[in-house]
Amino acid sequence: MAAATQDTQRPQNTRAIMTFLREHAPFSNMDDAHLAHFAEHASLRFFADEDVVLSPEDGPVRRFYVVKQGRIRGERHNDKDGKTETTFEISQGECFPLAALIGERPTRTLHRASGDTFCLSIEHDAFVTLFSDSDPFRDFCLRGVSSLLDQVNQRIQSGAMASMGSSNSLDTPLERYALRNPIVCSPDLPVRKAVARMHENNVGSIIITDDERHPTGIFTLRDLRTMVAEEKGPLDTPVSQVMTRDPICLTAHADAFEAALLMAEHHFAHLCVIDEERRLIGVVSERDLFALQRVDLVNLARTIGTASHLRTLVSLRSDVSRLVDAMLAHGADSGQVVKIITTLNDVTVRRVLELNIKKNDPGIPFTWLTFGSEGRQEQTLLTDQDNGILFDTPQGMTEDQVREKLLPFAQTVNQELAECGFTLCKGNIMASNPKLCLSGKEWDDWFIRFIDASTPQNLVYSSIFLDMRAVFGPTKPLEDLFDKVLTRIRKNALFQKMLAGNAITRRPPLTMFRSFRYASDGRKHTLDLKRQGLAPFVEAVRVFALANGVEEANTLERMDRLVAREVFDPKDANAWKEAYSLIQAIRMRAHQEMLDRGEPLSNYINPDDLNPLDRRILRESFRQAQRLQQKLEVTYQL
Amino acid sequence: MLEHIRQWFERRRGGGSLHCDPEQLPHPKAAGDQALAKTRLIVLDLETTGLNPSRDQVIAIGAVAISASVIHLADQFDLILRRPELDISETVLIHGIGPEALTRGHETEEALLHLLEWMNGDPVLAYHSAFDQKFLEKTLKQTLGYTRSHTWIDVADILPAFFPDAKTGGAGLDHWADYFGLEVSERHHAAADAMVTAELTLAALNKAGKHGVITLADLTDKLRYYRRLKSMHRV
Repeated sequence: MAAATQDTQRPQNTRAIMTFLREHAPFSNMDDAHLAHFAEHASLRFFADEDVVLSPEDGPVRRFYVVKQGRIRGERHNDKDGKTETTFEISQGECFPLAALIGERPTRTLHRASGDTFCLSIEHDAFVTLFSDSDPFRDFCLRGVSSLLDQVNQRIQSGAMASMGSSNSLDTPLERYALRNPIVCSPDLPVRKAVARMHENNVGSIIITDDERHPTGIFTLRDLRTMVAEEKGPLDTPVSQVMTRDPICLTAHADAFEAALLMAEHHFAHLCVIDEERRLIGVVSERDLFALQRVDLVNLARTIGTASHLRTLVSLRSDVSRLVDAMLAHGADSGQVVKIITTLNDVTVRRVLELNIKKNDPGIPFTWLTFGSEGRQEQTLLTDQDNGILFDTPQGMTEDQVREKLLPFAQTVNQELAECGFTLCKGNIMASNPKLCLSGKEWDDWFIRFIDASTPQNLVYSSIFLDMRAVFGPTKPLEDLFDKVLTRIRKNALFQKMLAGNAITRRPPLTMFRSFRYASDGRKHTLDLKRQGLAPFVEAVRVFALANGVEEANTLERMDRLVAREVFDPKDANAWKEAYSLIQAIRMRAHQEMLDRGEPLSNYINPDDLNPLDRRILRESFRQAQRLQQKLEVTYQL
Repeated sequence: MLEHIRQWFERRRGGGSLHCDPEQLPHPKAAGDQALAKTRLIVLDLETTGLNPSRDQVIAIGAVAISASVIHLADQFDLILRRPELDISETVLIHGIGPEALTRGHETEEALLHLLEWMNGDPVLAYHSAFDQKFLEKTLKQTLGYTRSHTWIDVADILPAFFPDAKTGGAGLDHWADYFGLEVSERHHAAADAMVTAELTLAALNKAGKHGVITLADLTDKLRYYRRLKSMHRV
């Protein structure tokens, strides 16, 4: 109440400035008294379009600015080509210049108004007062832009935490847990057979039930270990003699917390879930209860890699999604997460291939290729199949004969991958397509045509076929092939130039002026984060990588290699890597949110749904894409 | 603001009489060769009980100062006058000042003395300034017997004079505010209207500096020329 009274005693214009500030970081986290101090000491200036706001010649910066209306851009003169380039943009609610003000030095960047612009500012002494009195303000100033990035990451993490919390709170009744169909046996079954059954089903316990399905005992891998170590008897012993009698049981209405307490108390890792008639309906393991807290990549990968049925693979896909949530919650960056998704996808693809070879071996050695985003190891939860086969033609067979054997096999694999959640490729870029199931020689011819006779039409495929990787089978044939491809591209300046021209056709969704440009093909007022946000980076980096003989397909790794080869300036590359990763992070968070709402995954977002901070970061990231494209234009004189 | 005025009065009492001799108040300055880029300008807005200067009264005064083309928030005036006897039922819907708020206001005399002191004789700008000028001069005369004239400049003339091609869709304060993307924090609040008028003035001053309008006299000349041009068009 006191605060309200105080507020009404402040002049209207002071209150209005406080209201404005409260909508933006770091002011949104600051106390009213500090905001009032800012507002009372503020002054308002106007800068017409193109007016200089701050210049390196002005001497040490003595004033702290917030854009109230309009936009400021940073300009740096490039000594190499004599051009001026925009290094950043500052829009409504954003502060400047932080580093120069803290360092009490002149700004290194010319700040220029971009459009008619009003700025609030405080002088050095008011700045110092706020800096020493307000923790959020000080943190913000000291960490500058990096604190913004932290805030984005924190938000991504807290979002993931929230989704974990909702699906994993310990007061969830056990019946809501996905209870596994319990593996059961009768008391007279020999231990050897019981263990074989556990192994088959990839579980750590088996429940011994009587004729009415009442649990009478439980036998776990730990019991087996004890039995062997203590020589309790041969493996033919009926399981009833070595099982733990009267296993702990809970009804389906009990909650997870009760289950966790019981487990902790008795040091059991499993308990039986029963109905009112004491009939077994499921088993809950410690791992189930805490699955989300300890989603374990290694374990998940092993489970996928040893799954014996397609349906197990299909069911494990939801674990991959939960793992992504958990990884984001634990602060993994988007680069790590996409690599992990790719790793798990690779394991799945390999397992599908292995299971099919076991069932129906085509008898031809082959390498399973993957293209596009999977080739670059940049997959998210929304993923298409882009694959192909590179085979070695056995003596006495023609390539078409080989294809006759491989294509039906590939057809099944493509279908099964689709069941696992890898959408069938609409453009039929799949191994079951006879044009993409080729021998080493045929692939080489294919690339010769692709590179030497490039047309705008086949350039579209560059984003697919020039980012490739072997997922299964020998890698040597692909290395040999790619070696030739790289050499050919390096020698072909015209092809490079065409690639570069193609790479800049997709402009980041920023017009030269202010707001976002929306996707032209998508829903109204949406941005396509993949095509408009990530693709400009991926495509520009690919051109530089191929032109400079970089073999990696991953965009971030390509940039590292380009720095090592002194093609990219380390600072530029860092900014580009960061921008690329942030767009990816925002895209992945959007995917997780769509999953939570049960919506189909899409790459479209409405920037109006983002908070001002994310909008600002997106815009800054898109601007980095613009700079990268400018480098391409300068290099290839486009 | 209230505390500010109380302190000011304490100081004045210490200095002698409460009733001020107009001679001791700052003298209004004429529009001469003061450089626009250095001078202090008052931007003012009044809320009144109605539109008729002979019958209606001032109930709120909001003003900000522009010094050397900068608005300093520390240099502002925002006050509701103490006039419990006034009938404000007609206009209360527009400016939102109800009878209660009025009684919380200040003794008109004290407030106006303080206003004159604060204005320091500097030129006064307002949107449709004739209206504010009439009301303020009448109030100053009735309450204090003060009859000196300040230099008044109409922002509603300044803007079209410097932005002749602006497509504002109208000549109102709201039209110009929209044109520059400005938000009025609380429309028909004297101080908020004064603020947005001052913000628009900053934009005009920036343009003036680039077009060789350097002094206050240059500005009034330019406006006189603009008005003549406008009336010629009308004929």
